[in-house]
Amino acid sequence: MRKQLPPEMLARDSRFVRTSIMDQVMDPRNAKMGERELGSARLQPERPAAADRARNLMHGIFTGEIQALEGAGRTTFDFDDDEAPFALKLDMARQCWDESRHVEISVKLGDWMGTEIGEYSEATFLYEAACAPDPILRLCGVNRALEGLAIDVFNTMREFGDLSGDPVLEFCEDWMLADEVTHVKMGSDWLRRLTADDPERRERALDFQRTVDKLFSLGGFRGESEENPIQLARTFRSMAGFSTDEIDELAEIAAQAQEDARAMVAGGS
Amino acid sequence: MSNVTLTPAEFTLVKFDADQVRALIDQTLGEIEFPVDVDVTIDVDEVLPHPLTASMANVVDGAAHLWYTGGCFESPKRQTGLSVDHTRVELGVGLLRAKDRLVGGFENAPADEQLDDRQRTLWDTYAEGRLVPLGFPVRIPRRRYTFRLYGGFNDVADAAFEQLWTGAPITWDGLSAMAESLAAADTRPERKKSLRKETLRQAPAA
Amino acid sequence: MSDPSKPRAAFAPWDRRELPGLFTVEESARRVGTYKWLEMRLFESLGGWVATVPELDVKLVLGRHCYHHAWHAELMDKRLPELREMNTDRLCEPANPEMVAFVAALQEPEAPEHTIEKLVGIFRVLLPRKIAAYTYHMNATSRITDSPTQRSLGFMLQDEFEDWREGEMLLQSLIETPEDVERAARRQAELETLVLAAGGIAGPGTLGSDVVTEGASV
Repeated sequence: MRKQLPPEMLARDSRFVRTSIMDQVMDPRNAKMGERELGSARLQPERPAAADRARNLMHGIFTGEIQALEGAGRTTFDFDDDEAPFALKLDMARQCWDESRHVEISVKLGDWMGTEIGEYSEATFLYEAACAPDPILRLCGVNRALEGLAIDVFNTMREFGDLSGDPVLEFCEDWMLADEVTHVKMGSDWLRRLTADDPERRERALDFQRTVDKLFSLGGFRGESEENPIQLARTFRSMAGFSTDEIDELAEIAAQAQEDARAMVAGGS
Repeated sequence: MSNVTLTPAEFTLVKFDADQVRALIDQTLGEIEFPVDVDVTIDVDEVLPHPLTASMANVVDGAAHLWYTGGCFESPKRQTGLSVDHTRVELGVGLLRAKDRLVGGFENAPADEQLDDRQRTLWDTYAEGRLVPLGFPVRIPRRRYTFRLYGGFNDVADAAFEQLWTGAPITWDGLSAMAESLAAADTRPERKKSLRKETLRQAPAA
Repeated sequence: MSDPSKPRAAFAPWDRRELPGLFTVEESARRVGTYKWLEMRLFESLGGWVATVPELDVKLVLGRHCYHHAWHAELMDKRLPELREMNTDRLCEPANPEMVAFVAALQEPEAPEHTIEKLVGIFRVLLPRKIAAYTYHMNATSRITDSPTQRSLGFMLQDEFEDWREGEMLLQSLIETPEDVERAARRQAELETLVLAAGGIAGPGTLGSDVVTEGASV
């Protein structure tokens, strides 16, 4: 088995269909959508199409958890003992188990919500962030940026479960949220430990994290306004080791991504 | 056969084949035994993608007017592509509801714009349940979740779902009474009960 | 009411543990070091394979088992300093070059259609070998002086048995044709030959056969 498995080699059964970020960016409806007054984009039961939007997001969480499992698994294998400390690999193995459990939870939740495995297309950009050649970049890209996004997503879904009175959804999301806080904290701790004497490497890792954060704020997907489907979960991020300055910076990245999207729509219409 | 008008006549933003959609409409009209002397207009807003699903089925001056977001017909697996299964079920539910308004005991029902989420999901369930024996590719867990979301996560709502899903005849008066009984049984705080009045439908830009 | 001043034996009548064991501190440490090395290679392999197997149930099981073996490696790592090996990396090594060759062959399959080969290596070759070696260690070492190792091995064996059963059931569900049976058997034979050449996961004497033939104290 080779070290560094490219995203196109992720193994899936025949139910799964892959999509690329270009499919989404090049969709001719994007510009027209920008011209519409569709109201708040927040995922809430009282918003139109709430059931299908929740199902869609749930399937996105499901495939994201598969890729998080695969990314953590690859980090245990891709690096020799001198590249990644034993304790880091143990943490990644632990994350494998957690992500495996999250996939199981997501499948059960999909059943509950009436979603079938592979019903929606799968984008692999989460795993792509887990392909960085430096383990600390992976930890920043995956554990801090993407697992941080997972905190925001799970918190949003947990609130959706609470608002809709869905006891199963709220219960499951709350448990997964607890795990994600642990994973993000893991990333924050390893970033500090491995770069304590190497500020340049730390800066490279944080730069990579910013890139991933910006990618996942694309088009205003995540932020703090009514226009963002996924809301930034400040309290849980703080529990996971993010400083207030870091959360503020992320909010700025998200706001900038939204502005970029608006400019793109304005330019295209 | 009804006189059918599909708008747009050709799709430009999504890869839907208008002839294929027209054929699916004709097929559905036949399968649900839609009154042959009633004209049907179907508007598809192709700007709105999946998962922004929403639809309306009204009767105005004796003609059926249906409106769908493009997302209702879109394949979640292939962006901008048509899903025949989704399209068949969406058309089946919409046209059955239009038929209910014409001859099915829903002649006195308010227009779709006036329905709340609970009333609407009850009616959709009643319609979709009747598609099962006709062989439409319906998915009960999907409908059940939507039903619970708007009807309540409790045994009363589940019993109502079973009753509607079996397709036992019901009128608008019966259905609206059922919606009221669900509201009474819903123990969620008021703020958690979704009774929206917002819509994704917009007048086309001038 | 019991008499608190009444003397009682240190060992209850039913506690039949004996002091002597076959292993010295050094030999127990050596074996624990080889176990740690192997558990590391194993959890890394499972972690690497997660992305390469298309079967969703197998993918999730490998993710779960990956952590089991990482925890075993951690248990062995923690035991080493207690066995006078302060540099835990020093004894974390394969028993011999043949063991390295075995692990390399074990990790070789990558393609998504090779799930049977991957699982046979783990569940029909390596796990049975580990169960045998850990059981021998538990039975051979002093149940009093080396009981911390025994306790850890007990936890590990519990995982090994349950994981082996789960893996074997996955394999039986994947093996559907006589050709699949042949594939699985061929793969098992290839790997068994290699682990045989290594003398077992802890090298020659893994199951103590050398001790019997040579009459050595270890």
